[in-house]
Amino acid sequence: MYKLSVSILLAFSVMFTSCTKKKNYEEKVLEINVSAKVKGLDPVNAGDTYSSGEIARVYEGLLQYHYLTRPFKLEPNLAESMPTVSDDGLTYTFKVKKGVLFHDNKCFPNGKGRELKAKDFVYAISRMADLKNNSTGWWLLDGKIQGLNEWRETYSGKTANYDDKIEGLQALDDYTLQFKLTKKYPQFLYSLAMTYTYAVAREAVESYGEEFLNNPVGTGAFMTGTYSQANVINYVKNPTYRDVRYPTEGSASDKANGLLANAGQKLPLVDKIKVNIVTEASTRFLKFKNGEVDYSEIPKDDFNQVVTPDQALTDTFEKMGIALEITPDLDITYIAFNHDDPLFKKNDKLKQAMSLAYDHEKANELFYNGRGMLAQTIVPPGIGGYDPDYKNPYAKYDIAAAKKMLAEAGYPEGKGLPEIQYETTSTTVARQMSEFFAKSMKDIGIKIKVNTNTWPQLTQKTKKRQAQMFGMAWLGDYPDAENFLQLLYGPNSAPGPNGGNYNNAKFNAEFETVKNMQPGPERAKLYGKLAQEVAEATPLLLGVHRTSFVLKHSWLKNYKFSTFSHGNSKYYDIDLSKKKKVLESGILTKTPEEKTASN
Amino acid sequence: MSGNWNYIIRRLLYLIPVLLGVCFLVFVLFNLTAGDPVLMLLGKHGSPEQAAALREQLGLNQSLFMQYVDIVKSAFTFDFGRSWSTKQEISAMMVQGAIPSLTLSLPAFAIATFTSIIFAVVVAFYRGKGIDLFIRITCIAMMSISSLVYILVFQYLLAYKWGLFEISGYEFGFPNFLYYVSLPVLIWVILSLGPDIRFYRTLILDEIYQDYVRTAKAKGLSEKAILFKHVLRNAMIPIVTYTVVQLPFLLLGALLLESFFSIPGLGGMTITALNSSDFPVLKAITILSAIAYIVFTLVQDIVYTVVDPRVKLQ
Repeated sequence: MYKLSVSILLAFSVMFTSCTKKKNYEEKVLEINVSAKVKGLDPVNAGDTYSSGEIARVYEGLLQYHYLTRPFKLEPNLAESMPTVSDDGLTYTFKVKKGVLFHDNKCFPNGKGRELKAKDFVYAISRMADLKNNSTGWWLLDGKIQGLNEWRETYSGKTANYDDKIEGLQALDDYTLQFKLTKKYPQFLYSLAMTYTYAVAREAVESYGEEFLNNPVGTGAFMTGTYSQANVINYVKNPTYRDVRYPTEGSASDKANGLLANAGQKLPLVDKIKVNIVTEASTRFLKFKNGEVDYSEIPKDDFNQVVTPDQALTDTFEKMGIALEITPDLDITYIAFNHDDPLFKKNDKLKQAMSLAYDHEKANELFYNGRGMLAQTIVPPGIGGYDPDYKNPYAKYDIAAAKKMLAEAGYPEGKGLPEIQYETTSTTVARQMSEFFAKSMKDIGIKIKVNTNTWPQLTQKTKKRQAQMFGMAWLGDYPDAENFLQLLYGPNSAPGPNGGNYNNAKFNAEFETVKNMQPGPERAKLYGKLAQEVAEATPLLLGVHRTSFVLKHSWLKNYKFSTFSHGNSKYYDIDLSKKKKVLESGILTKTPEEKTASN
Repeated sequence: MSGNWNYIIRRLLYLIPVLLGVCFLVFVLFNLTAGDPVLMLLGKHGSPEQAAALREQLGLNQSLFMQYVDIVKSAFTFDFGRSWSTKQEISAMMVQGAIPSLTLSLPAFAIATFTSIIFAVVVAFYRGKGIDLFIRITCIAMMSISSLVYILVFQYLLAYKWGLFEISGYEFGFPNFLYYVSLPVLIWVILSLGPDIRFYRTLILDEIYQDYVRTAKAKGLSEKAILFKHVLRNAMIPIVTYTVVQLPFLLLGALLLESFFSIPGLGGMTITALNSSDFPVLKAITILSAIAYIVFTLVQDIVYTVVDPRVKLQ
């Protein structure tokens, strides 16, 4: 019996010994982790960051953000140049690049990708408008292009006719595309850099039917086979990709960081991309530390082991040759007050008292490892309308002032104030954040009841205006303060993005005027003024603008963080010899002491 | 034999009322507890106009009775349509998810069961002695440690530090999947050993104290012969009950292991569907699980007749 047991144990040991695959040092493979499932690769459904990122490896749009320039600047991608705009600001005319080919695919005659034409954009944007497709990107163009809403309504519940003429969306010839807007909308150009509006070949949609979302056919730098909902997506370099070059323009710091080393070289620079879908943060980080992926975010729980209090790398990571890149993200976290509730509708002082009672610094330390920047208005740094010198008198921790303000609001020491319901999700961090909020309010006598929900339940409560207070975060769709200020625009109330249902006639009127101005310093100044005025009324309890901390292996070249990083993988490069050297040296998995001991 | 067939057909016919009941429960629970799927699907910029159109497209503006009829129809035709969230075809999603789940759970379950029975026989054979005490204490110690600890420690030590296994991932096809399931299988086995050894030991000891064992000993049979020829055979009925009843759940894989090792199985798919109010996917998983459960309990009854000829299906 002993022998049998020992044999079984030995068999197990043999079976499980060295179950690893060999590393490939022959090809430049960019390896990436993403943290959530990709829903599919159809541009009209690029509603989440992850799907959008994958779609942009295969598909392309008329415009894109310059890879290196900050603040963000739009530049032509599939457009020959930036559009000509009519004097009244309503007509945008684009010239589409000649000689751009769709990927070779069986949906085309002889399997050879055909040339991109202006009509492909007409088709792609009409697909967005087609109610049947339920595009989550429709808000971008809703009511903005002449005739598009009418076309959408005509085919509501029916099969749409994509050959219909739409007044404001026309291919004037094979290479000329014209948009006619219903009213001035300077943010329109940003929508042409978003994945929703990327060029789609009609043949591919018609050939694959409902399976089109799994069979992407674009003009992008990379291509992939049938997408299979597995946890790995493999891309290969598009052999018919046009001549696109690495940017030659960048700042002095870009040059110092080696980001111009490949200036003028043909893109893409890597042969393949392997995207690993890994939902657990600890696993993602372990894969990075093991050299299996080329860059990574830092999980909250590992932050102190990786980054020192003065925001440098710890010795352990420094010795691994890893680099740290710190960049403010275009986002905001906040706690919303539901202004449908009479308690918050007219009583700014109550909201101001609550904001003063909230220890913003401590919350930043506890929940963001101190890496967030305390928000003073809703507009994040990096875009016009952000004023680094402005200090919001209510976005700070001051218990005495909070108590005084609460008394002025009519509730001295919280007396007479009903218990406030705070809705949150059931994740550990969300619950911790709500408990922290409840404790902060208790300090001035406000009773908070925390209700935990599943994500669908919380969504339902906020969209149906049933949540009294709730926490939220907003990641910018494009680099324009309008995208943040619209969170307070009355007509955008729930189920729209203004989940707090804030509705201030003066703010609404000023916002409508400013957002339609042409971009420039004057508009930025007005955005700033508007943001500051509304911030002091405290329609939201402001949290932080999060900062991105990205770790990069020494062999990864040209990586620069961007909130709008879709399509950027074509710029990245891998130094294969360096990768081989680092991985074979074992410095990523063994400390110098461990290495000495094993030798 | 015809009696057996009658029994099998009768049991399969039970599927009809059970499925109707499962459909009803799924429908009621989803409508009572899940958030409005339309609001989830439209995302942060959804408008009331889009919500109305989507509600119509998903059939959510039909009467509740007609919505229930749709569920029943899909349960009996196995046409579950497409996911509301990912727009993927559900039958393809199920096949795609079942393969990784089963390549993890089946070998893990088989190895864990086989090993546990062997250990249980050993400890039963040496009952009351040092080895019995040692294995029992080890089992309790192993059970006292959270499964998360095993996952995190093994992933860190065996995969990252020592490079013996892949940290995470999955590739379809043999032998590629073996690289990725080896470590989770090992963890599954270790997690199962504690409770399983203790359970099987109890079953075997129950048999060891039966009268027929004393008779066999009195007849001069050796301990080994009694254990393997008589005790183990008689203990097979509860063992079969315990193991077969677990088989349908193997289809769903192991949520934690799938999540930490990035195995694209049905466990993860269920959680994603729950978080996105993806009713068609939840419906399909629930209905197929119910069918699998009924089929496996039937298999269980059939296996009884094999391990114990006294059992007749009636």
